[in-house]
Amino acid sequence: MRNLFVRESGNYKTSYSDDMKLFGTTGAKVKALLIVLIVLTLPLFVSNYWIGLFTLCAIASVGAIGLNILTGLTGQISIGVGAFLGVGGYTSAILTSTYGISFWIALPIAGIVTALIGGLFGIPSLRLKGLYLAIATLAAQVIILFVISRWDSLTGGTAGMVLNRPTIGEFSLSTNTGYYYLCAIILLLTVLYATNLIRTRTGRAFLAVRDRDIAAQIMGINLFQYKVMAFAISSFFVGIAGALLAHYTMIVSPELYNFHVSIEYLAMILIGGLGSVFGSILGAVFITLLPVSLSSVIDMLAAFAPDLYQLLSAFKDFVFGAVIIIFLIFEPGGLAHIWLNIKKYFKLWPFSY
Amino acid sequence: MEPILEIEAVSLQFGGVKALDDVTYHIEKGEIFSLIGPNGAGKTSMLNCISGLYQPTSGSIRYKGQEIVNKKPYHRTTLGIARAFQNIALFAHMSVLDNLKLGRHTLMNSGAISGGMYVGKAANEEIEHRKKVEEVIEFLELQDIRHTPVGTLPYGLQKRVEVGRALALGPELILLDEPMAGMNNSEKDLMARFILDMHEVMDITVVLIEHDLGIVMNLSDHIAVLDFGKRIGFGTPEEIQKNPDVIRAYIGEETVI
Repeated sequence: MRNLFVRESGNYKTSYSDDMKLFGTTGAKVKALLIVLIVLTLPLFVSNYWIGLFTLCAIASVGAIGLNILTGLTGQISIGVGAFLGVGGYTSAILTSTYGISFWIALPIAGIVTALIGGLFGIPSLRLKGLYLAIATLAAQVIILFVISRWDSLTGGTAGMVLNRPTIGEFSLSTNTGYYYLCAIILLLTVLYATNLIRTRTGRAFLAVRDRDIAAQIMGINLFQYKVMAFAISSFFVGIAGALLAHYTMIVSPELYNFHVSIEYLAMILIGGLGSVFGSILGAVFITLLPVSLSSVIDMLAAFAPDLYQLLSAFKDFVFGAVIIIFLIFEPGGLAHIWLNIKKYFKLWPFSY
Repeated sequence: MEPILEIEAVSLQFGGVKALDDVTYHIEKGEIFSLIGPNGAGKTSMLNCISGLYQPTSGSIRYKGQEIVNKKPYHRTTLGIARAFQNIALFAHMSVLDNLKLGRHTLMNSGAISGGMYVGKAANEEIEHRKKVEEVIEFLELQDIRHTPVGTLPYGLQKRVEVGRALALGPELILLDEPMAGMNNSEKDLMARFILDMHEVMDITVVLIEHDLGIVMNLSDHIAVLDFGKRIGFGTPEEIQKNPDVIRAYIGEETVI
């Protein structure tokens, strides 16, 4: 075996299958293993509070990857993510709480139901582009939330529904750690799927639709089919994230899925990096942890200047907005691009040429 | 020789503008066919009608005897018609390799689920088609840039990738819309050699739109000349050179003072 810490000096691959492997070099394999190991052993090192936060990050990452498949890869703006999270959450809530179906069956069904509804709202995308499509997906947000809050017999109306944490046999995932493992594993699977999707036929077609839809059509891509498919695949993951979130917070109610949530998810993929799986995770972690870290900073400052606490709290929203604007101006490529630049820098370090 | 493409009385009208007016010609299997004419003559509109981006107002387009006027663009691709655009229409953020692989989209089968899992058939398919794409890369001498994002390449290479993407489809009929526009003489020579090679070696019927008449006359077996949407000439290069209508369209009327 080659020295793990030394990078290969050239391309030593002798077959196409070697060249196309996801983890082609020993270094890449070790890196992937390390990441999985860190993710799986994290609960041993951090407090319960942080495990809860990381769980939220993992759930948000699944949703952000889903949205990125639609908006980043296929170029179809959707601002109805909040409602699709709701569809996933409510489907799982209705199936598990009302009908007593096991969580393990309800979870994939929640994904599939959301995919179907997402595909349905994706149909206008053939005729609508850009801002117009954004407004059409906004309609999805409004319609779905309206249905959820008025269909009392099924959804419990504005009062919402109460859910339970899932169990595996005798073992309940009611602890944060148990649920963290579930979300982490689903995130790993999502990452694998999305990465593979991007490098195969369907993913290439999505990219083609985004970059040049006319040329894509001439190259034999059925625009309608692929746009609806992008909506469906994206919504599937958003639905899964919605179901996971619902079982984590153990409650679903319409105001948890309002427009604000959609914007947050859009911010995740914008800040993380459009079209990048890794960026989606970075963005999701960033947006999930930003309010938390801002709060702790404000608490710290408040110790010195108690009078300013009110003012500083108001600053939270201000900073949130400012961060998004700063990213859009200075790094449209997002966190993923910053990460790439850092990697490039160290590839040549200490010689900058 | 049997015709591979028959254009019969095709008209295309945008409001009051007649982009194509009752155009008729045919393209024989295995030839290099050129479509020439002054700017705005309707050459690209003609290609758009063949590849399906425009729906002719009237007329018939038959590919290997089969009517294709009502077929969607992606259906025509599966029949073996490939197209390279005049204004480069590559997928700028994808690598050369991915652009060419996309050209093989209709020949591949893996879907969103099998592709996402990347096991068994889907993985083998990617590898198998990679081999085919590498053949095109070798043919067009794109080896050293195969992993480069297309958007960062210089213009001449982008044009070549554009042709490569059409070739990757493994077409029987390839439509090249000004593949040599904006190139210098040596680049034009190279492209002309590629066109001859794909015709001779790969046995592809080539439809070429080109303004450089020298190259057109040297390469083509047959030529159709359009002017203001009308077909003013159709025949071999020798016939076209003697055609008085064509001469008038290109260099104007002879006036006696």
